[in-house]
Amino acid sequence: MGSQKRIAKELTELVESPPAGITVKLADEANLYEWKVLMDGPEGSPYHKGKFQIKLVLPNEYPFKPPTVSFATKIYHPNVTNDDKGSMCLGMLRPDEWKPSSKIGAVLEFARQLLSEPMPDDAIEGRIAEQYKNDRKHFDEVARDWTRKHAS
Amino acid sequence: METATASTSFPDSSSPRSSRLRRFSQLRAYTQNISSGHRSRNSISSRVPWLSPSPGTDSTVTQVGNSTAPCPESDQPALSRYTSAPPSSSYGLSIDQASSTDSSHSTPPNESHQSSRTSNVMARLRSASAVQGRPPRNLGQTTTSDAPTSSPEPFAATNETPEPIDTPPNDAQEGDSNQPKQKATIRFFPYQDSYQSSRPSLPFVPVTRTLPSESCVVRVGRYSERDGIPIPNPAEPSDAPVGFKSKVVSRKHCEFMFINGQWHVKDVGSSSGTFLNHMRLSQPNMVSRLYSIKDGDIVQLGIDFRGGEEMIFRCVRIRIECNRSWQQQPNEFNKNTENLIQNLGKGDNVDYAGCRECSICLGSVLRPYQCLFMAACAHVWHYKCISRLLHSPDYPMFQCPNCRAFTDLSAEVDDSNDQDVEAKRAASASANVQEAARSETRTPADVPVPNNDGQQPPAQETSRPEEIELVTDVENLHLQEGQLLSADTESRSSNSPAPDSSSNDLARSATINIPGFQPTQPLNVPPGRSSHLRADTPVRSETSDDNPLTPRNDSGPLAFDGRATMQ
Repeated sequence: MGSQKRIAKELTELVESPPAGITVKLADEANLYEWKVLMDGPEGSPYHKGKFQIKLVLPNEYPFKPPTVSFATKIYHPNVTNDDKGSMCLGMLRPDEWKPSSKIGAVLEFARQLLSEPMPDDAIEGRIAEQYKNDRKHFDEVARDWTRKHAS
Repeated sequence: METATASTSFPDSSSPRSSRLRRFSQLRAYTQNISSGHRSRNSISSRVPWLSPSPGTDSTVTQVGNSTAPCPESDQPALSRYTSAPPSSSYGLSIDQASSTDSSHSTPPNESHQSSRTSNVMARLRSASAVQGRPPRNLGQTTTSDAPTSSPEPFAATNETPEPIDTPPNDAQEGDSNQPKQKATIRFFPYQDSYQSSRPSLPFVPVTRTLPSESCVVRVGRYSERDGIPIPNPAEPSDAPVGFKSKVVSRKHCEFMFINGQWHVKDVGSSSGTFLNHMRLSQPNMVSRLYSIKDGDIVQLGIDFRGGEEMIFRCVRIRIECNRSWQQQPNEFNKNTENLIQNLGKGDNVDYAGCRECSICLGSVLRPYQCLFMAACAHVWHYKCISRLLHSPDYPMFQCPNCRAFTDLSAEVDDSNDQDVEAKRAASASANVQEAARSETRTPADVPVPNNDGQQPPAQETSRPEEIELVTDVENLHLQEGQLLSADTESRSSNSPAPDSSSNDLARSATINIPGFQPTQPLNVPPGRSSHLRADTPVRSETSDDNPLTPRNDSGPLAFDGRATMQ
């Protein structure tokens, strides 16, 4: 549990100067290891104008183990599981890709980047990825629809 | 030339030779440190182009100059001492050029190059001495006829020609420092796929290959005693084949080659396959095309056989490290870090861009009195923060969490290219010496007496002689170093004037006393330590014996002791 200092530091940093379209706070003031992140859908994506709630959980071994990022808001995206968990698959969060020197800020920015540019080749929702690749118009439509329904 | 002498001494790695080498290096450390104190700044900065003289040294140099100027009469005895000193008059004020011309008086002309090149040769010798006990590469090649024949020939030829004679010393130095830039280097580390496969792959000692020329190929296959792969000299480029003691590796398994600045791997018809990042390169017994590889790629040889229960049935997983030579030579970042280390706790007015923060705790590493750990890539953390990664199951392999560079923490201390480090150390030592000398000359005499014209001489008498003694000592050391070397390389032929007195001088060098030097030498490695370090390295390889995961490796970089095959 030697990581509290680092986490607190990162939190202050993110609260004081949040990255574009991202606000961060603790889900529960008593628990440093669970964060609530509010992410605006990036402009130019079908998620624009949506507000997505993300749950970020830090393991006890942080920063040696990666945090987990999951969408509390339903989202139509090839890299986010389409269930009530909404787990997100980020390359940099995979255990063998994770570097202790990566910061949460970078993770969140990367997640937001993934909203504007999904990575269908690295998808967990194969069906959505296929649609994204082959039928972009339809994909955008559904994604926009879901955003309107769930994230506003 | 040096390789030849080194190799003759190898088979008996016993003490006399190695201890002499050690004394050599001690001697060198001393001469570097001491003589540079009296050498002009130019010589230092010309050796280390990126080392800009600090304002501190500047002022001390002028100080010394000033203090000699106003008192010519006290200089007189000094001069006489100078000239009465055996070797030469210009030594005390010498720069490298002067020293080489001087030694040419006493030794044949080709030797003159050598004396100024000594440090270079020394580095070689020392690195060679680090691998004592292993058979020399040259011998191995002559005895084993089935070693690869294509490439080593020119390589061996270039190394056995005595290069000091035909290359001017400066060029030689530059060439050496540029070597990692020109040569293609690849390193193989054992890789344990801790996330996907349960079974550990074959452990092996990390291997490094630096191609002597671009057309060379690194062959990888099963190691067998009979093929007797020669042990390459780690200080020299080599494309010696890499062998793994596993039954799932074919005799000719795959090859690594360097084409147009890019490393490639090719399966050369292995039966159990070569896998690049889990992708099989070719059908069994088929030659594959070339696949380009990059730093961090995983190459797997074969598949575990019979569940890989026994060591010899395990596949080999190699993590490739290439194109990292930029990281292993002085660059902006690691110079910065060095600066940081040197100035820890001396006030914080320098900007150490990029290396002030421990990436684990995000705290500062700049504060003094912290336990820090610096990896070979010059990234720095608090020891407490990084210790988890140091003492991992992968130990002695350590992966930098910042740049993913792999380090073998158990690797022998590589002091082969410490040219610039030594020079730097010498520079800092010179600063110390001059500081000390200045305090000697100034504090008693100058400070209390503002008008130092009349009062100076008595004060000078107390302080000067010591300094001059020092200077003469340094001269002797300098010359003796050259002579010793020549004596060595010529196997004590007759042309070295005083080989017998060398031991005397060595002893003297150890007891040389520099006014005020001892207390103020935090950055200077004392002689005991350098020898201590070297003495330690062979011991360490024995301790790895206790670790069941790291088989003893007496005969080759990848040859394991018989235990695995015995079963």
